[in-house]
Amino acid sequence: MRYVVAAKAPRKVRLGRSDYALRGISYVTVTAFAAFCALPFVLILSASFSSESAIMRDGFGLLPKEFTFAAYEYIFRAPRQIIGSYVVTIVMTVAGTAIGLFIIAMTGYALQRKDFPFRNSISFFIYFTTLFSAGLAPTYIWVARYLELRGSYLAVFLQLLMTPWLIILMKNFVRSVPYEIIESGKVDGAGDFRIFLQLVLPMMKPALATCGLFLALGYWNEWYLSSLYLGSTVEFKPLQYHLYNIINTANALRNSVAGSNVSITELPSNTLKMASAVVATGPIVLLYPFVQRYFVSGITVGAVKG
Amino acid sequence: MVTQTSVGRHEALPTGSGKAVPTKSRKPLLRRIGDNRTLLLMCLPALAFFIVFSYAPLPGAWIAFTNFNYRDGIFGSPFVGFRNFEFLIKSGQLWLLTKNTILYNVAFIILGNILQIALAIMLNEIRSKYFKKISQAVMFLPYFISVVLIGVIAFNLLNYDTGALNALIQQTGGDPIKIYSIAGAWPIIIIICHLWQSTGYGSIVYFAAIMGIDNSLFEAAAIDGASAWQRIRYVILPSLKPTFIILLLFSLGGIMKGNFGLFWNLVGNNAALFQTTDIIETSVYRMIISQNNFTSSTAVGLYQSLFGFALVMLCNWIVRRINEDYALF
Amino acid sequence: MMRKSLARAGAAAIVLALSTTALAACTPGEGAESGEPTNITMLVLGDKPTNGRLEAMLEKLNVKLEAEANANLDLFYVEWADWQTQYNTQLLSGDDDIDLITTATDWLFAWENAEKGAFLPLSEEMLQEYAPKTWEQVDAEGHWDLTKLDDGQIYFIPEDNFTQYTNHGFFYRGDWATAAGIPDGTITKFEEFTTYFSWVKQNQPEAYPWDVSGAKDAALIGYLQGHTDGQTIQQISAGNYYPFQTTESDPYTVTSWYMEGDELLEAAELAKEWNEIGVWREDALNYDGDTREEFYAGLSGADQHHTQTFIGSIVDNMTKKQPGSDPKFFYFGQENGNFFNDILTHGAMAVNATSKSPEKALEVYDIIRNDEEAYRLLNWGIEGTDYVITEDGKLGFPEGYDSSTDALGSNFWAGRMDDFELDRVTDAPNKQEIYDELAAAAKDYEYSTLVVNKDLIDPTLAAMGGVLSEYIPQLQYGKFDDPAAAIAEMRQKLEDAGYEDARTAIQTDMDAWADERGLK
Repeated sequence: MRYVVAAKAPRKVRLGRSDYALRGISYVTVTAFAAFCALPFVLILSASFSSESAIMRDGFGLLPKEFTFAAYEYIFRAPRQIIGSYVVTIVMTVAGTAIGLFIIAMTGYALQRKDFPFRNSISFFIYFTTLFSAGLAPTYIWVARYLELRGSYLAVFLQLLMTPWLIILMKNFVRSVPYEIIESGKVDGAGDFRIFLQLVLPMMKPALATCGLFLALGYWNEWYLSSLYLGSTVEFKPLQYHLYNIINTANALRNSVAGSNVSITELPSNTLKMASAVVATGPIVLLYPFVQRYFVSGITVGAVKG
Repeated sequence: MVTQTSVGRHEALPTGSGKAVPTKSRKPLLRRIGDNRTLLLMCLPALAFFIVFSYAPLPGAWIAFTNFNYRDGIFGSPFVGFRNFEFLIKSGQLWLLTKNTILYNVAFIILGNILQIALAIMLNEIRSKYFKKISQAVMFLPYFISVVLIGVIAFNLLNYDTGALNALIQQTGGDPIKIYSIAGAWPIIIIICHLWQSTGYGSIVYFAAIMGIDNSLFEAAAIDGASAWQRIRYVILPSLKPTFIILLLFSLGGIMKGNFGLFWNLVGNNAALFQTTDIIETSVYRMIISQNNFTSSTAVGLYQSLFGFALVMLCNWIVRRINEDYALF
Repeated sequence: MMRKSLARAGAAAIVLALSTTALAACTPGEGAESGEPTNITMLVLGDKPTNGRLEAMLEKLNVKLEAEANANLDLFYVEWADWQTQYNTQLLSGDDDIDLITTATDWLFAWENAEKGAFLPLSEEMLQEYAPKTWEQVDAEGHWDLTKLDDGQIYFIPEDNFTQYTNHGFFYRGDWATAAGIPDGTITKFEEFTTYFSWVKQNQPEAYPWDVSGAKDAALIGYLQGHTDGQTIQQISAGNYYPFQTTESDPYTVTSWYMEGDELLEAAELAKEWNEIGVWREDALNYDGDTREEFYAGLSGADQHHTQTFIGSIVDNMTKKQPGSDPKFFYFGQENGNFFNDILTHGAMAVNATSKSPEKALEVYDIIRNDEEAYRLLNWGIEGTDYVITEDGKLGFPEGYDSSTDALGSNFWAGRMDDFELDRVTDAPNKQEIYDELAAAAKDYEYSTLVVNKDLIDPTLAAMGGVLSEYIPQLQYGKFDDPAAAIAEMRQKLEDAGYEDARTAIQTDMDAWADERGLK
């Protein structure tokens, strides 16, 4: 916890009135804002445990009304779809994050090497893509017609592998790795790739955690590319696209619990939507605390230029 | 090996290829590639990615100038010049979309950064380790939630007939508000949703920057008897400037783009709100969904890219004139 | 040393390649070698059923198809969530795994897609050789002309031997209408719904008079149809709207009820009145609930769709779920007889332009359309488990069958045949009366063979579609304070979009078409 120590050090000096005032304001504001951020989660969670009729009558509330597990029972009565979606999303998230992170780190490292003559041109080549894009239709035609990726999970998987922003973030982090370490590697006769793999990479854990989280979130929350490139072509839709379908069509909702032999009017459709949301969002939220400890020291943004 | 010594040696010794021009300090391209092949190879997967998914589709933007059909494809379809742009310009739609997109982004950037910096500074003031950790985690939560859900929650809170907000207003004796018909209310709602979604994680970037400030600066300030406000004004804010400028320039690159998912899931097809909520990306999406219109939508996209590109070039030029170090390129 | 790091980089690249191929392997692969049966995939609309009944049926059907055509049939679903995007992007992708495509000239943009080259032109020889029965039947009735573009080629096969009425209207409850004081509980005029809706609003606090969701235009169209003699030209759409009409009194002059006359304003004012009564949710445009289920649950006083839905599901469901509700149907244009028999291309089958085996696809189509055994399997499923034939020769369902979870869902809407169809036990008991009444009053759609060259007006139509999608839903829900001003504004924008040019272009085609037939 390097940062905690760092933060404490200057406060050893005696505190003035303004310091106490600021601290008071800080506690109040941060608490208020955190509450504001948490509110919708509380609403979703409480709705998912409420009875359908209570929701229809009184709308959402902070506490579950007429507490029940009914909605979750429906979901897990016929869990095939949701389990399939989970598997697809988890495989994509894990594989995509690992591969993407490796490429991003490798590129970030190379671009930060001061003795690499192409680093500015390559940086610009990458940054340029944030400025200029072909647009939805041409990209779709290219990916679906020419790369023939429609209906393939690859269409989603590959397009989320990296973003210019993450490469630049990574590049800036590598900058904080002392150049002497790279030097010493060279003196020992290590190749560039080995220096990266054995000396630099281990020092980049916070950056990897940070970029990794962004990548993982990108995969986890993805629904848009799935709707364009997968549609109904795959048996198991990625989790959030599955959720999007549940929320947007009554039929998908019915299919998602098919086999449980209920007609749609008897389905607790509001609470079921919310319970599906909890099931689809929960795991990634639980992952966060494990990443958090790397987090603060991870995102330091220096200059974009090399 | 591309070590300092080997570089020197290469320059000193004539090479077998004979292509090197001794008088020039720069080495020929092939040689530079050869010398840096490992580093280049390391960039290769990323380069391949951007070539395949960002550069390769670019020529396809030609579709904006054609009357596209599947049979002849993008480049065989009849050329129609600027006809796909005509109505967009004539109807004033392009102007409306540009205005909305830019204004939203400006609001997001300004309000977002102010809020993020303020929160970061306050987080830094908090002593309790657990309080800090938990509040950070909670503020990060909205980033995990899918925009699809944000639309559902917003509808459940704001709709006229059963919405929680109107229920509350009625309980307190007020008249319910037809929020989904009031175009003027939506910029505020969308901005709040966006800030709700992004402030937590954005503030962490600044928080990290504050953590990185040299302690001696704080100590010096304390010795000079600086108040908390002076400490913020003279120590923290100046140290955040580089981070701020980088983030700013980066978000400028996306100023003609938008948080599509958020807008789409909040507003959808409600045309009553388009005047204040339609941005380029939602308009393009609707053209494709309901009109099967790949050409005009690409025309808008092309305009979006060109306009955004010019804007960033201009900003970069200005920044470069003020302080070259902060320029993007 | 460098060699080593190169090797490492190479290894990394291989890992990458492997993991991507591993993922690729999870996606559906190719089938069919020569000698093996050819896989034919048919695109249908609807949600893919997950109850296993479809697969069981296909297994049986494929035994037959293999024996007769050495082919297998598989269905590809374009699901209802975002179905327009999904359908359009599926065609745009040029996916060569699809062979047969369900289309329609009035709701699936068959003409547009044919013009854009998504469908394979079908030569007469090809049809005669590979789909002889279909060819003969359609040819005997002279219906191939309904499927030709201006190049004279056939682009799809019409579902021309299947009686159905897909004229839209309101479903409402006779019991409530009676209580509202409407004579006989039967609404005969569009405006009478004001009385009905007001009564529901005041006396049925649980229910919305008409719970409706999303961007619709039915309330406006319903009024326009019943108060003008406008006849929509179904070949020309602008987005989701059909802005060009002729009139019965002047059938060869192209006009638009969105542009001419005061009826649109009257309709909009009525809608505004309904909105003020509270006929629909204030936020109907953003609401996305299942309103039909709400009608069944007694939570909505009305629902809106076409005759076929009324006969096939509304009567049955309402009788079961709301006993005594006496469901009734008011169809648009009822008061002045301004509605049409179904066009014969409300359902049609096209062959994908990129299909690898178009001949085989036609062979399979010929069987599922013309062979009674195959037809029954595909449409109804397996006898005994999916359907039964009752003693009086009706199509019924086995004991314990629940249509909301047990449906076959094959959704073959592009080649059904009256010859094979049976009355269903769930059909409205007065089905035949309804058909007879409609048949007596309905007009024939005259312009089926009119081919409009849209090449030049495509951008205009797109622009008009954009304008209409902005104004029509708001007019329909009565959201403008001043409908007259809004309509004026909309008309101006349509003019700017090039309405007049488009109208003239269509008029030219109309003139040529009418001259050719000596109609003018």
